[in-house]
Amino acid sequence: MPWPTSPRALKALLADPMGAMGLVLVSLFVIMALAAPILAPYDPLALNVRAKLQGLSWAHWLGTDQLGRDTLSRLIFGARTALSISVTATGIAGAIGLLLGLIAGYGPRWLDAVLVLVLDSVNALPMMMLALAIITVIGPGTFTLILVVVLVSIPSYARLIRAQTLSLRRAEFILAERAIGASTPRILLRHLLPNVLGPLVIVLSMDIPVVIMLEAGLSYLNLGVKPPMPSWGNVLYDGYTSIRTSPTLVIAAGAPLVLATLGFTFLGEGLRDALDPRLASTRPR
Amino acid sequence: MTKWRTDRRGFLQTAGATLANLTLPANFAWAAEGETLRLRVTADFQVLDPKGIIGELDEIIPRCTQVTLVRLGDMRDGNTWQPWGAEKIDWIDPTKIAFTLREGLVWSNGFGPVTAEDVKYSFERIAHSDSAWAYQFEKLDHVEVIDARSGILHLSEAFAPFIIIALPYYGGNIVCKAAVEAAGGSYTTQAPAECGPYRFAAWEQNQKVTLTANPDWTGLKPAFSTVEFYIVGDDQAAQLAYEADAFDFTRLAVSATKQVTAAMPEGASLIQAQSTRYAWLTININAEPLKDLRVRQAIQYAYDSDAVLLGAYDGLAARSTGVVAPTSPFTRATNLIATRDVEKAKALLAEAGVSDLTLQLVALTDSTTQAIAQIIQASLAEAGITVEIQPTEDAAYWSLGDKTAGDGYKSLELVLMNFSGGIDPTENLVWFRPDQIGVNNWSFFDSPDFETLYQKGLVEQDESKRKAIFNQMEDLMESSGGFIFICFEPYIALHDSTLKPVILADGQPDPVMFTRV
Repeated sequence: MPWPTSPRALKALLADPMGAMGLVLVSLFVIMALAAPILAPYDPLALNVRAKLQGLSWAHWLGTDQLGRDTLSRLIFGARTALSISVTATGIAGAIGLLLGLIAGYGPRWLDAVLVLVLDSVNALPMMMLALAIITVIGPGTFTLILVVVLVSIPSYARLIRAQTLSLRRAEFILAERAIGASTPRILLRHLLPNVLGPLVIVLSMDIPVVIMLEAGLSYLNLGVKPPMPSWGNVLYDGYTSIRTSPTLVIAAGAPLVLATLGFTFLGEGLRDALDPRLASTRPR
Repeated sequence: MTKWRTDRRGFLQTAGATLANLTLPANFAWAAEGETLRLRVTADFQVLDPKGIIGELDEIIPRCTQVTLVRLGDMRDGNTWQPWGAEKIDWIDPTKIAFTLREGLVWSNGFGPVTAEDVKYSFERIAHSDSAWAYQFEKLDHVEVIDARSGILHLSEAFAPFIIIALPYYGGNIVCKAAVEAAGGSYTTQAPAECGPYRFAAWEQNQKVTLTANPDWTGLKPAFSTVEFYIVGDDQAAQLAYEADAFDFTRLAVSATKQVTAAMPEGASLIQAQSTRYAWLTININAEPLKDLRVRQAIQYAYDSDAVLLGAYDGLAARSTGVVAPTSPFTRATNLIATRDVEKAKALLAEAGVSDLTLQLVALTDSTTQAIAQIIQASLAEAGITVEIQPTEDAAYWSLGDKTAGDGYKSLELVLMNFSGGIDPTENLVWFRPDQIGVNNWSFFDSPDFETLYQKGLVEQDESKRKAIFNQMEDLMESSGGFIFICFEPYIALHDSTLKPVILADGQPDPVMFTRV
C-alpha cells in the first residue's frame, strides 16, 4: 500500500471528485483554524449585550448571539477548538493504539491475549455513558474531552493494527528479515510500521468527524469545553435557546458541523480508494 | 383542556350541552364537571410528606391533596389569606391563635375526620426538627387541643407573620396522625391518608401526575375535576408543547418574553409579574483566595449589573438591593456598592497585594444562569480577575454546599444562586443565619449581629422598626463582601386565556383555585 502523501496517492485522491471535495473542505477548515485570529472580524469573547441577537448585517455577517458576540468570529474560532481537540485526541489515541496493536500482534501470545481482553472490555463500554461518567468524576473541560476520546478510541485502533500485524508477521519479507537476524525493533519500525500506518491514517481521518460531533454534542450539553471558549456545540446551544427569536444562529452553527463531517468523511473515503485501488475498482461509478 | 370543535359533531355536542344547561335549576353547580386542567411543571416530585418536601410538584400536590388551616391568594393580588381548613382562626393575644376546624373534613382510607390532634401532630413534628421548614414553626411553642375540632397555637413570642409564614403551605399541610404513625412516622411518594379538594390518582414517573376531584371534599369545589401535571424540564420544549396544545399553563424562560409578546399564540395570555425568586452571587468568605475583605469588595465593584440585567434578563428585571422583595415595604433603598467602579476594584486588589487571581464560578447549566456567569466572567476580567466557569447539573449542584456531603463546601469560591422567596422578609433572610452555613448559607456569612437582628425582626411589631432591622441585616450581608444581589427574577407564564390562574408567593400555581373565566 502506498504512503498516503505519495504523489501517486495524492493524484488518485484528486482524481476522485468526492475525495477532492473532501480535501478542499478539510483544507478550508484547517486554514480557518490556523488563521482564526486573522480571519475573525471580532474578538470571539467580546461581549456587547446591547447588540444581542442581531440578525445578518454587514457589520455582523452571521449576526450576534444572546450576549452580543459576533457569531462568525465564534464559528471561526470554533473551528480551532473542534480541530485541535479532534486532531489531538485521535492523534494520541492513534499513537497508543498503534503501539498496543503492534505489541499485541507481534508479541508473545499471552500478552496478545491480555491486551485483547483489556481492549475488548473497554470497547464494550458505551461511548456516551463512559464520557458522562468521566465528566462527572473530573468535571467538564478540554482535557476531559480529549481523555474521553482517547480512552474510547484506543481499542478500535489497536485492534486494527493488531489484525494488520498478525497478517504481516508471516509475510515473506518479514520472515526473510528474521532469517537474516534482524532485531525485533528493526522489524517493527522499518517493516511493519510503514505497512500498517496507511490503514490507520484512513481510519483516523474518518474518525475525526465523529470526535468533532462528540465535542459539539458535549459542549451543547454544557459538558464540553468551558465557556466562554467558542465551540460549534456551544454556539449551537446558544442558537437553540434563542431559536424562536434568532433562527439564523442555529443554521449558522449547524452548517460548519455538517460541512466538516462531510469533508472528513469524503477525504477518508477518497484516501481509502486512493491507497487501495482494488477497493476503488469495485465501487460503482 | 377541551377545545371548541367547529365541525358538525362538535356543534351538536355543544348545542346539546347548552340545552341541558338551560333546563337545569339555576343553583345547580356542575363546576366544570369532566374538565381537565393541564399544567406543565419542570421536574417530577420526590417527597410528599410536608416534613421533607423540596419544591414545585412536591409542594403543589400536597396543596391539592392535603388541607391547611388557611389558604393564600394570588401573589399579584397581595398574598391575602383566608380560612381554609379552619372555619375560624383568630389571634386571642399576640402569642395565641385559636382555630376551629371545619366540619366534614374526612381523611381517605377510613382514617376518620380531621382533628385538632392531627393539627398538633403535624405542626409539632416539624417544629424544632431537622426539616427545612422547621424555621416556619420556630416560634411555635406547642399546640393545645381543646376538643376534636378546636385548638390553640401557642407561640413562644409574639410573631405577627406566623399565619402567612407557617400555616398556608409547606409545613402547614396537615397530615393524619394515625395514618402517618402507622406508616412509620413519615412517608415519601404515597400519602397514607389524604384530605383535600383532590386525590392522587396516577403517576407516570418523569412524565405525568394526575389528580382527580375528591368526592368526600366538603369545602369549596375546584373548577376542574381532573388536574394533570406534565413534566417538561426544558422551557423551549414546553413553549412548543404549549403551542401544540399539550397543556394549558406553562412558565416560560425570561428570554422568550419578547418573542411571545410579539407573536402571542392564539387564545393565549401572558403573565408577566414580579416573582419572589431572588438571584445573587455567593462569594465564599471562607475560601482561601477570598479571605481578604478587599478582594471580595473588588469583585463587588467590578460586577456589571447593567450588563447582567440586559444580557440575561432582557432588561425585564431591576437590580435588587437585597433578598427582601422590591415590592415589599421592607425593601432596602439601595445597595452600599451601587455603582460599578473597575478602577476601584483594581485598586483594592493592588492594596490587598493580589495579582493573577483566578476564581472558580459554579453555575447551573440553564441558559439564564450561564449568561449571567459569562457576563460576570467578562466584567471581572476587566479588573484583572480570571473566572473559570464550572457548569454544574442540578443534582450535583445542591450537594456542593452541603456540609453532610464532605468538606467541599468550605472551598467553594463563587456560586450563582437563586431561591424562591416568601412573603415576610424573615422567610428570605432565614437562609443566611450562621446555623445555615453548610446548608443554604454558602457564603460562610457568620454574623452574630445578623442573628440578633433576625430574632428581633421576628418579634418586632412596629413596621418602621422592622424595616430598619431588615435593611440593617442586608447592609451586614453586603458589607461582609459575601454577596452580590442580582435581581428578583421576573415571573413569565403562558396560559389559555379562558383560564384565571392563581400563582402563590412561592411562584407555584395553585390548581385548586384556578377558574374558568
